[in-house]
Amino acid sequence: MTKIVVVTSGKGGVGKTTTSASFATGLALRGHKTVVIDFDVGLRNLDLIMGCERRVVYDFVNVINGEASLNQALIKDKHAEHLYVLAASQTRNKEALTQDGVERVLQELAGMAFEFIVCDSPAGIETGALMAMHFADEALIVTNPEVSSVRDSDRILGMLGSKTMRAIQGIEPIKEHLLITRYNPTRVQDGHMLSLADIQDILRIPLIGVIPESEDVLQASNQGVPAVLLDKSDVAEAYKDVVERFLGREMPLRFTEATKQGLLQRVFGRR
Amino acid sequence: MNARSTPLSFEIKNANLPLVSVLVKSLDLALLAADLQTRFGDSPAFFDNDPSLIDIQTSEGHFDVNGLLQLLRRYRLNPVALKAGNPGHEAAATLAGLFITGEARLLPAAATDPVREVIREVEVVREVAVAGQGALLIDKPLRSGQQVYARGRDLVVLAMVNPGAEVMADGHIHVYAPLRGKAIAGAKGDTGARIFATSLEAELLSIAGVYRTSDAPLPKDVAGKPAHVWLADDKLLMQAL
Repeated sequence: MTKIVVVTSGKGGVGKTTTSASFATGLALRGHKTVVIDFDVGLRNLDLIMGCERRVVYDFVNVINGEASLNQALIKDKHAEHLYVLAASQTRNKEALTQDGVERVLQELAGMAFEFIVCDSPAGIETGALMAMHFADEALIVTNPEVSSVRDSDRILGMLGSKTMRAIQGIEPIKEHLLITRYNPTRVQDGHMLSLADIQDILRIPLIGVIPESEDVLQASNQGVPAVLLDKSDVAEAYKDVVERFLGREMPLRFTEATKQGLLQRVFGRR
Repeated sequence: MNARSTPLSFEIKNANLPLVSVLVKSLDLALLAADLQTRFGDSPAFFDNDPSLIDIQTSEGHFDVNGLLQLLRRYRLNPVALKAGNPGHEAAATLAGLFITGEARLLPAAATDPVREVIREVEVVREVAVAGQGALLIDKPLRSGQQVYARGRDLVVLAMVNPGAEVMADGHIHVYAPLRGKAIAGAKGDTGARIFATSLEAELLSIAGVYRTSDAPLPKDVAGKPAHVWLADDKLLMQAL
């Protein structure tokens, strides 16, 4: 049974596309046929993060409008064998996305035996975001430990519970997962950043993982490689944990405790 | 020429149009206007230009068809037909452009009127409607941007009310969870309305229009604790429960 997972947040710049890329890659590396779709029509960047921007010929809107088939538009990822990418259109705007069109494409993908369809939502609560979440079975709500991100995530949770197909039809609700990104345990300890407990007190949904703040993310996106593929990176390990938990394995939370730095580390190491 | 061949320029199909039936029990337009204002004044967009059937259930009084049509249109009802019965009324209605029908079938009245109102005004929050005019019961958390209004009754919320959410009631408001959003009780002016919360952390508290924002910090003995708020001499008073 195909599962549609939306990666959403409300707030912009918190790590949705970074997460979509790494999460989808992680699932594919575990052997599951996965497609990741960019719903940010007009401001597409999933293809850049995935490193396939030069291979985009046809996009999501082309497929919705019948100007190209899915087979022509889907890009086979070079890093993970079971992963495919469906890029957004750069030249159209969000009106090009219609609910019927999106539904048809998702059904066609399900018919192609994809196990997971990861929908990379744009920021905001307008058409793109609503389309990305409308048909979802599960949701990753990406949140930074910062008050406006938490407020926006709360808003998005309200919409997941009322404006999506599962909510409207009154069937089993979307399974919600909280993913905290850009977490810096040292700053939390100093009282300069919201803690896990603070965030969960407001959002009250199950936590699927914590991704630490790291320069690796910037490095990865500039290279066009999903962060999960960076060897020896805390971010990569954290995303792998998220995939494991999503697939049902219990994993202890890592990268949430501030490490005490010895004198040598402070002199020679990074902060 | 074969008379049975399908013409290419048109097709005839069966269609059904749901109508809102307005049962007019008095032809006194002033009385009708006042009652419509009471019932729908707070939600003028309750109807959405719904095609309507006028069913006049009285024979007393003069039928001012244009006045009635104007009144109904003001509330975004779109009268298209009159139920047959009174030849005088039928003649007036026909002149005004309505058609006369004897065949409209009333659907069984759904007992969900108050629930429908809440849904119209706000995001869909799944309510558990309590029988009779008891309190409106909400058992899912209210998230930022969501609003609930318990019209004409009390409100009971069993899950948290997040910052950015708004709970309103004409009667009392009970939140058996952290109340962090805005709470507006006695919305129509009932000064006896109270607000109860198991953890009082509201952004805004209001009873019958007298309000206080979180700009003025809550007293230490009630902030974040089980407490209730009431109005006395135009002042909001609070006490731990």
